[in-house]
Amino acid sequence: MRASHWLTISLAAVLVLGGCKKSAQAGSGGDPKTIVIVSSLPRTGSANAQTTTIVNGIRMAIEEAGGKVGDFTIKFEDWDDASAKKGDWDPEVEAANAEKAANNPDVMAYIGTYNSGAAKIAMPVLNKANLPMISPANTYTGLTKPGKGEPNEPQVYRPTGKITYFRVVPADDIQGPSAVKWMKQMGAKSVYILDDRNLYGKGLADTVEATAAADGLKVLGHEGIDPKAQEYKSLMAKIAALSPDFIYYGGTTQTNAGQLLKDMVAAGLKSKFMAPDGCYEDAFISAAGAEIANGRAHLTFGGVPPEKLTGKGAEFVKKYEERYKSKPEAYAVYGYVCAKVVLEAIAKAGKKDREAIRQAIAATEQKDGALGTWKFDANGDTSITLMSGNGVKDGKFDFITLLGN
Amino acid sequence: MTLVLQQLIIGLTNGMVFALIALGYTMVYGILELINFAHGDLFMLASFVALTLVGMLSIADLHGGALFGALLLVVAACALFSGGLNWTVDRVVYRRLRSAPKLAPLVSAIGVSFIFQNLGLFWGGLSMDVMGGGVAAAAPKAFPDLLPSDNLLGEGSALRITMKDVVVVLSSLAVMAGLFLLVRFTKLGKAMRATAQNPTAARLMGIDVDAVIGWTFAIGGALAGFAAVIYGLYINTIHYQMGYQNGLYAFTAAVLGGIGNIPGAVLGGLVIGVVRAFSDQAIGAEWQPAVLFSMLIVILVFRPQGLLGSTMREKV
Amino acid sequence: MDWRSLARRFLGFESVALAFLLLYPLAPFLDWMLESQQLPVRLDRQLVTIFIFAILALGLNLQVGTAGLLQLGIAAFFAIGAYTAGVLTVEKYPFQLGFWGALLFGPLVAGLAGAALGAPTLRLRGDYLALVTLGFGEVVRVVLINLESITDGPRGLNPIPAPWLPEWLVSTEIDPTGRRQVLVMYYLTLWILVALVVAFRTLERTRLGRSFVALREDELVSACMGLNPTRTKLIAFAVGAAIAGLAGVLYATNLTTTAEPNTYDFNYSIMVLCCLIIGGLGSLRGALLGSLVLIGFDNVISPLLTRLIQGEPKPGEVQSVFTTFSNWRWIIFGLALVLMMRFRPNGLWPASRSHPEPRA
Repeated sequence: MRASHWLTISLAAVLVLGGCKKSAQAGSGGDPKTIVIVSSLPRTGSANAQTTTIVNGIRMAIEEAGGKVGDFTIKFEDWDDASAKKGDWDPEVEAANAEKAANNPDVMAYIGTYNSGAAKIAMPVLNKANLPMISPANTYTGLTKPGKGEPNEPQVYRPTGKITYFRVVPADDIQGPSAVKWMKQMGAKSVYILDDRNLYGKGLADTVEATAAADGLKVLGHEGIDPKAQEYKSLMAKIAALSPDFIYYGGTTQTNAGQLLKDMVAAGLKSKFMAPDGCYEDAFISAAGAEIANGRAHLTFGGVPPEKLTGKGAEFVKKYEERYKSKPEAYAVYGYVCAKVVLEAIAKAGKKDREAIRQAIAATEQKDGALGTWKFDANGDTSITLMSGNGVKDGKFDFITLLGN
Repeated sequence: MTLVLQQLIIGLTNGMVFALIALGYTMVYGILELINFAHGDLFMLASFVALTLVGMLSIADLHGGALFGALLLVVAACALFSGGLNWTVDRVVYRRLRSAPKLAPLVSAIGVSFIFQNLGLFWGGLSMDVMGGGVAAAAPKAFPDLLPSDNLLGEGSALRITMKDVVVVLSSLAVMAGLFLLVRFTKLGKAMRATAQNPTAARLMGIDVDAVIGWTFAIGGALAGFAAVIYGLYINTIHYQMGYQNGLYAFTAAVLGGIGNIPGAVLGGLVIGVVRAFSDQAIGAEWQPAVLFSMLIVILVFRPQGLLGSTMREKV
Repeated sequence: MDWRSLARRFLGFESVALAFLLLYPLAPFLDWMLESQQLPVRLDRQLVTIFIFAILALGLNLQVGTAGLLQLGIAAFFAIGAYTAGVLTVEKYPFQLGFWGALLFGPLVAGLAGAALGAPTLRLRGDYLALVTLGFGEVVRVVLINLESITDGPRGLNPIPAPWLPEWLVSTEIDPTGRRQVLVMYYLTLWILVALVVAFRTLERTRLGRSFVALREDELVSACMGLNPTRTKLIAFAVGAAIAGLAGVLYATNLTTTAEPNTYDFNYSIMVLCCLIIGGLGSLRGALLGSLVLIGFDNVISPLLTRLIQGEPKPGEVQSVFTTFSNWRWIIFGLALVLMMRFRPNGLWPASRSHPEPRA
């Protein structure tokens, strides 16, 4: 290749790169009467079970509305942010999903993500596009609350300064202290903390550790586990020598909570076991085994559990059971509520405009909805600070107490 | 002191399970120089067979002799299943790639591993009680606690040894001894060793090399089937993605011991089990994989042929 | 140099130039397609991913294809590159060298790590070395998770700034669609990829390049001819690691975060190896083609297929684990791998010289 060729190509490069200078605008959409809602959740791999219930919840809300809000036809698309090669949420795919949604002028709401790590990638992209994003599952505190995460959080996720991210689940800074409060209520003096070294589990376990130390609950140790490990017998043998009153695990069913509980019992530990809402699903009991979970497992969960709900909540449970022939898991109601919030916002805004819908979402006030009565605060967080404490009795979750903050 | 002894027991028992899976790895590697990435997932599928049988035959309700007999039946069925499946995969996938570059079957094995994982996901979605009623296909499944887990030294003792540990260790040792005798003293074993040493020469001596390789896959698979039942009884949880970590550790055990070397694989498995236990005790669970693999690198730097491998002269 | 080798040399560059000229106008075209709603997927974005993967595969190719070292932990060097970029650019640290500084230091740190790992271990035989590299990959991942004070643990380091380019070339005002950033990354990665391919092509005719080939073809003979195989291997290993580190810098910049350390796991290393083998080990175009096929299949074709086959579930329909098409994804992916190896065991477009492969 002669030098002159390279010169030509370089010139062309400058010309084309120069093209980037023109500021791109999102074009106007196809059908003005069609509004698209997308969800971006890991549909391939281990989280599939929970995301299926979330998507079920979303679909149910849209079906209830008859697929229409006013004159607008609502189309829902269920996107996967996992890849086969990773078997879990994949940062590249989540980034591509967010950009795809940002660039599709028909998309008026983005329901997701499941993993807080994925939210960190999608949030700034969607924020620049002024596209409202509602998460049914992210609990990492730093995503919304100033001063509680890294110094640059959450501004770093809001390049435009507007609040475009909302979540219907209480964040870790509510759930962590509630867990400590409950342990103390049950007379615990000491706790051993474990976490799965994921954003969700680690963040929660850190909060529990900090609160416990402040509240006079003795923390005997805090360790991370390898969530893919076969068993934790040697870890439990070590903990057995300290005999803590409680073992707190910041993690989920998928990150092996059932196995931890099982090995705790096998090691002859008499401690009780507490885990967050990531374990509040039937799969946790069936993974640990009902006999082992009975009386030992304690789970915190944002809001009142579905079966204790009255009014709309009870209605939701009944309708879900009819529709999907199975009991709604904890996450189903969050998915349902996300979709409800979006649909109501579209109705209130009355036009196909991201800014109008964003403002309507921010002004959401749910009265006696499936999660009770709540609204979004200035950070986009749910105002629900009520947690419930649940045990396991006869192989079923058993509501024990309310933990207000 | 009790704690050290306790961790040693846990480490050795776990190591036995790794060793059983590692044997299948090392046997196939010894003959084909193929790192069979699908082996861990084969093991996983076998554990789903075991759980399905346990559910179908209501084994959890049996006691004493009936329980023992039923477990033998499950072991036989699982060994037959995974041995047969491994043989079939070799017949359909790997055999056609014998003359291909060495890394081609490796990619096929990765492909087979993905297929197995997906089958495991579907299997977990069957609507059976033992699978959690098919509600969450991807969730971990509890394997019923069939062996008594009372402390043999009495509940007051600080040291815990249970019937489970004893059964795992003794039955694994018995199977390993059987394998060793098979490879050492039978005609098939001799043919295997000959094929491993030099396939071309073995063929010239009248050995049906393809059949021998098929048998190797079948036996390695059967060991994975046996390991799957033992794993279920000992660990009590199975999961469609557990083939990954178990396969990784088994591969590690096989290489650490000196790849292709059967006692080496057993030793490698035990070393891994014990290192994991002591790393949890002394350093902290979050560092476990780092401690394990750093130690491996150091061992291999000083013993480049693995723990029991013999130094081979490079063929010219 | 006879006319034949001259022709081959020229032909080699020609094909690179051709691919370059085809790819060059593709991004604005795709961008236009996207803007006018012709495309269901974000193709230019996926191409950036593919380019980065291809750069990574080129690095691995140097280690596996050229030096004949079976490497199962390339993700470690990829991660080192990404985290170096993170540490050097985020606000949390005083360095803040920006993208171009990271581009300089990322490969350097990864290359040094490669040399440090390679020096004591490269004399190991094939699969023992494979285990060492695998182990190193796991160690790096676990260390990144646990050294929270430096790496922010599972939170990852962010935000990693976009590459600084002169104002007259790329404007700095906020871009609501994020498309400008994708275009910048598209050209950046394409340029780097092409530069690497040209560099490799040139390398093949230098003394070092020839010693790589000699080593690949027959280690014993090359040692007899006076080459120092260990030293040559070490160079190949370190340079391969440095290129993986470069890919890591680009990856983190593209995502604007290092993502969580678990992203850089054993699976990732294996996928890069698969790309390489499917494309054709030892050849540059193989590495490129393999990345295109594998990542294209996983990230682009497979989601499209899913939507096509699955369609919209009717209201009232209950989906089971079997009828949800995305649950078949691994089977399809696995079958694709098996079938490709069945029919093209040397890769889709193998090196013409001979069958390079790591030897035991």
